[in-house]
Amino acid sequence: MIAMVDCNSFYASCEQVFRPDLWGKPVVVLSNNDGCIIAANKEAKQLAHIPMFEAVYKIKHILIENKVTFFSSNYTLYGEMSQRVMNILETFSPSVEVYSIDEAFLDVKGLSHIDMCAYGFEIKERIYKYTGLPVGVGVAPTKVLAKLANRMAKKIPKYNHVYVMDTDAKRIEALQWAEVGDIWGIGKKHVQRLQAIGVFKAIDFVNLPLAWVRKEMTVVGERLWKELRGESCLEFMAVPNPKKAIGTAKSFGQKLPDLGRIEEACAYYITEVAEVLRAQKSCATYIHVAVYTNYHSTIDKQYKNRMTVTMPIPTNDTFALIAEARKALHCIYKPGYRYKKVAVNLTGLIPEHYVQGNLFEKRSKISDSNLMHTLDVLNRKFGKTTVSSAMIGTRVEEWELIKRERSPRYTTQWRELLTIDVKRG
Amino acid sequence: MEIEVSGKVNVSKNRHQAEVSKQTGFPSAATHYMEASIDLNEELSIHKDATFYVRVKGDTWKGFSILDKDVLIIDRSLQPNFNDLALVVQDGGFKILRIPFDKAQEAFVLWGVITYIIHCVR
Repeated sequence: MIAMVDCNSFYASCEQVFRPDLWGKPVVVLSNNDGCIIAANKEAKQLAHIPMFEAVYKIKHILIENKVTFFSSNYTLYGEMSQRVMNILETFSPSVEVYSIDEAFLDVKGLSHIDMCAYGFEIKERIYKYTGLPVGVGVAPTKVLAKLANRMAKKIPKYNHVYVMDTDAKRIEALQWAEVGDIWGIGKKHVQRLQAIGVFKAIDFVNLPLAWVRKEMTVVGERLWKELRGESCLEFMAVPNPKKAIGTAKSFGQKLPDLGRIEEACAYYITEVAEVLRAQKSCATYIHVAVYTNYHSTIDKQYKNRMTVTMPIPTNDTFALIAEARKALHCIYKPGYRYKKVAVNLTGLIPEHYVQGNLFEKRSKISDSNLMHTLDVLNRKFGKTTVSSAMIGTRVEEWELIKRERSPRYTTQWRELLTIDVKRG
Repeated sequence: MEIEVSGKVNVSKNRHQAEVSKQTGFPSAATHYMEASIDLNEELSIHKDATFYVRVKGDTWKGFSILDKDVLIIDRSLQPNFNDLALVVQDGGFKILRIPFDKAQEAFVLWGVITYIIHCVR
């Protein structure tokens, strides 16, 4: 059996833990740069006339009229709270696959002797007690079914956020309940395609001939089909696979016309992704750099361009990567536009120790990697970009994301602790 | 500009190891008495996945010896006992109180049990 645990409206719940004045009230969290709504709690979702994923500046008045509290995303807080949840889950099973910031699979096949429902409630109650975060638990024989059980736990009130699909009759019942669109891994296009041939419920999908599924939905569809029939096909991954590409593409806080600050932002992003690259002990072969103007804007001239550079030798050296990215940026930058975004992406990732040298290589690799290591140690200890390339400049606040409504980083910054006084209630 | 690597920086070990003899050639008398130094997380049994730190503003709770700017260590994993100090939520706001004998008497939601008060004297 596999248990699927996920946090209810995770980002909004994290905010509410520290704001009891908002318990039971609508809360939404905005994307980077406060662009649009990316998360909403139950109360906010019930206000059906609030268009989700709409640009915030267009709907701000609706939010205010409905007394919806909105927060800029505070990923530092969400990441730390997520870590707590995952640590607690590890006390329940030695095999935990962290699937996303707010979801995890637990391998519970060794626990056949215990009451799974009681176990599910214990998980739910302990996480709530320790962290204040509400979670749902679904237990079933395969991952796809566990995901479905989790959905039922959440959507059907009588289950009270814990559902165990431990008999075949319950599995059939679940498949009769679920729409095809509810199945984990079936996207919008496939839903339309399936509905066109009269497949509406999960049970209809499972009753399709395997040959059809394989032909129309490839091996991915075949796996889902088998998983829904109770045959486990998706591997349990307690150790995540290393990433195949690492990138970042955040909008600037304001539109930037000049190359100087775009260069600095680009160097800053490279610094960030190179750190991730070193953490997983990989080197990058290619750097992709792209620039964009704001395509929402009606008054600006539009331009976008991208370029890929091949590193002479795959590397994870921040300085080498910045130097190459900068050359690419110089090629694609055109003056006369107001840029909204620069994106960097590292691909062709290979393990550090597989890097092929080059006969004409002059620099000492050892001293460079020692330097990078020292940089990482210092920055981990004293904070992000305490020591970095001078290319990132000192004008970060001029292009950085806007996070106007960000809550304090309650759990990671001593100066931003939750503060209580009587006046605030 | 060429930068030459001029020498290796010897990184000092984290701790002085008493059992290693230095210039004297005479081993330290502490050799068999070394212990790990005190770790506050350990001593205060900080349960890190359930512990939160909360700063207090004002002297409202000086009756509980909680003063302005103090930081409370709150362990949410603990079951509250009679007379424990606790951070609770009442009418949508935070409050500090002693857990009454009869918990049903007062309407509040427990947020966490206070285990220590950090008070800076400088």
